[in-house]
Amino acid sequence: MTSVLTRYVARLLLAPVLIVSVGILVKGYADVGDGFAAGVVAALALLLQYVAFGNDVVETSLPIRWSPGIAVAGLTLAVLVFAAPMALGDRPLEHLPAAGDEPVHIGSLELITAVAFDVGVFLLVLGAVGTIIGSLVDPDEEAP
Amino acid sequence: MTGPRITWSALAAVAIAAAAFAATWVAWAAGGFAVDVPWAPAWDLRLSLELDGLALLYAVLAAGIGAVVFAYASAYVPRHLAHEGRPRGEEARLHAAMALFLVSMLGLVLARDLILLFVFWDLTAIASWLLIGFDRASRHARLSALMALLVTTITAVPLLIAILVLRREYGTTQIDELIAVARPGWAVALAGALIAVAALTKSAQAPLHFWLPRAMAAPTPVSAYLHSAAMVAAGVFLLSRTHPLLALEPALLDVLLGVGLLSIVVGGLLALWATDLKRLLAYSTISQYGYVVTMLGIGGAAGAAGACLYVLVHAIAKSALFMTAGAVTEATGRKRLPRVGGLARRMPLLAAGSAAAAATLAALPLTLGFFKDELFFKAAAERGTWLAIAAVGAAALTLAYIGRFWGGVFLGRGDVAVEPLERRLVWPIVALGALAVAGGFVPGPFASLAQEAADVTAAGPAPVDVAYHLDTRTENAMAVAAWLAGALLLTARAWLQPLLSALARAGEAVGPERIYTVALGGLNALSNRIHDVEVRDLRARLAAVLVPASALIALGVVFTPAGDTYSAGRLVGADVPLVMMLAVCALAALATTRPRRHLRLALALSAVGFSLAVVYALLGAADIALVAVLVETLFALLFVGVFSLVPARALRKEARRRASRSARARNVAIAAISGVVTTLVAWGAFSRPIPDDPTAQRHLALADEAHGKDVVTVILADFRGLDTLVEITVVLVAAMAVATLLHGRFRA
Repeated sequence: MTSVLTRYVARLLLAPVLIVSVGILVKGYADVGDGFAAGVVAALALLLQYVAFGNDVVETSLPIRWSPGIAVAGLTLAVLVFAAPMALGDRPLEHLPAAGDEPVHIGSLELITAVAFDVGVFLLVLGAVGTIIGSLVDPDEEAP
Repeated sequence: MTGPRITWSALAAVAIAAAAFAATWVAWAAGGFAVDVPWAPAWDLRLSLELDGLALLYAVLAAGIGAVVFAYASAYVPRHLAHEGRPRGEEARLHAAMALFLVSMLGLVLARDLILLFVFWDLTAIASWLLIGFDRASRHARLSALMALLVTTITAVPLLIAILVLRREYGTTQIDELIAVARPGWAVALAGALIAVAALTKSAQAPLHFWLPRAMAAPTPVSAYLHSAAMVAAGVFLLSRTHPLLALEPALLDVLLGVGLLSIVVGGLLALWATDLKRLLAYSTISQYGYVVTMLGIGGAAGAAGACLYVLVHAIAKSALFMTAGAVTEATGRKRLPRVGGLARRMPLLAAGSAAAAATLAALPLTLGFFKDELFFKAAAERGTWLAIAAVGAAALTLAYIGRFWGGVFLGRGDVAVEPLERRLVWPIVALGALAVAGGFVPGPFASLAQEAADVTAAGPAPVDVAYHLDTRTENAMAVAAWLAGALLLTARAWLQPLLSALARAGEAVGPERIYTVALGGLNALSNRIHDVEVRDLRARLAAVLVPASALIALGVVFTPAGDTYSAGRLVGADVPLVMMLAVCALAALATTRPRRHLRLALALSAVGFSLAVVYALLGAADIALVAVLVETLFALLFVGVFSLVPARALRKEARRRASRSARARNVAIAAISGVVTTLVAWGAFSRPIPDDPTAQRHLALADEAHGKDVVTVILADFRGLDTLVEITVVLVAAMAVATLLHGRFRA
């Protein structure tokens, strides 16, 4: 059993770490970090919960069961962003807005389809790490 | 008896085959059909399909015989599954694989690009693996499926090499263009020989015939389809398709002639010896395709005409006989010749249907098969007397073993209990038998179908002349001689039996099948030993990577021209933090050699990683530093988490274990070698000026246009997005593999 301090810090850190990971993700095009880094940050938050609370608590409090699904969803999103331009007659992975066009702004956030691709990478990394951790700590569960 | 309800999957399979059959005829009547779409334009590969006469014949056979056999399978497979105690639902797997086979076969015969043809060629092998290994609980079936897959796909590699040779020499893989430009020479000779290897193996010709009798482990409908009209037909189809190329080198045709005759004899004698009904038919298939290969070896208009009609007749007759063997086994529960007999009175309809099929195969008059032997005799007699004599012998052998099969099953005395069979197990045989007899009276339509194919094979008019001539021409004399000799052989079989057994035993002891088994066993053993060395323990595995890699790199260092490769450079004030951080990193690395407790070791390793991350940051590589910090944190936490899962006592015990002196010396040596070599390479690399990379400059310039300020992210998500996509796919596969491995191990 881990100490009270560890558990307290782990619980305290969960939300801020997830927010930081989303921040890294959406600002990836403008600042340091990308979907991979954001995915690892989110996975770290998850892993810290495991180390602090153990499998039984995490399994009931966090949607860890969905990890394989999240990973597959991430890959699907990335493939969609990759292939969607082909349906429009463009070459694959032709991002919008095109060079020279002004992207849509929400506050200081720019909407670019490349970020959607990065979201796919983020989901995949988070899901993959979640799957691996899940099978490490609870190997008797039926394979996904 | 009506039998079990037809499942939707069986119905779908029959419908697909029937639709393909109808579509082929409609397309042919409409003047053919052609598709030509660029597939990989950079390599000039085209998805080009075209229905010509040769494709028509094989497509009609694959789809038509397919429809009949699938109908038979709809009754046979439920019985088969019931015998094996398997759920009825598995039926769909067989029908799906059958349909896959049908589609790959159609693609194969329609393909006009050799690369495309090769893709379908291997697809048929994969589908046949699924089908032969359908009884996956049986080790015998699995090994047989593996054998068919290995033998036919390993010999497909020569086909690919042949295609590349032709492409290099003539700059195209389109069959028509190749035939137009190819001239006799080494390229055609080499490619032709390699194509022949692939095709002859697929058609189960001696000496690579052994996979076919083994493949009889498949359920009967699979054998009736694959080993009469489809899988084995693919080989002679390829020979027909490339025949104008092969004919440029007469020596190649002579090889075909030799292999064909050898297969007729080997297959025929073994068929005369075999007692298992399906194996007898498998040996007979080897022999019958030997006829086709012989005729393709004779070549010319007569050879092409004979080969094409032979394939047509054989597919109809042999699928009916395979289905007969299945029906007899279902009705009596017996699989071997001496155990059945006298069934003609009990199962008159089945006896009549398969009698027609057997008579066709044995080339008796008033059946379609009569004409196939007439053309065979004609082609052989044109070539020379010795071949004419061989042809009569071959036909006699065929008559003998087919007579033995049908007579052994349906004639004589028999006291076997016979279960009634559902109609779907009998009528397909009757239908094919009726077709064969109808062809004996009205051979015209069959002949014109064969002629369309023969024209393509011979690259010129190859008339398929079928008619009864009541005179003393050579073919008729040869046919009569063959019947007499066949009848004689059949009555003398009892005396021949010891000789045949000796032949079969010799084949088993030193034949190609033995070589295959020994080679496969040896490869397995080698693979096991490498696996043992590599994964016995972690240190051995690391050594297996580090030592060879170091040796290779050291070779590179030694043979790289020296000069000012190694220079220390000058230390300036701004470098001091960097050097300090590198020193910390080195100290941390040294520290990892000390601790015996797992947690401390993990923390020391993390220290190395974190100090390296700081080095990246000092060099201005913020993105890399971020990822390094994150990955190090992840691993540190993972180690802590995993250690907390292992009982503390076990960890302490493991930490107290001391390696032997020699093992420690070995570890130090391996570490030192790889460390020194890596240092040398890194030093050498840093000593050179960094070349100006135009790609990096372009990426930096383009990043702004792609609305990005962080060029690393833009590269990952935009410029090199395909790489990223492939990499994350690998991540997903790796995650699934880890999960599966962990679950599998802990369950076992």
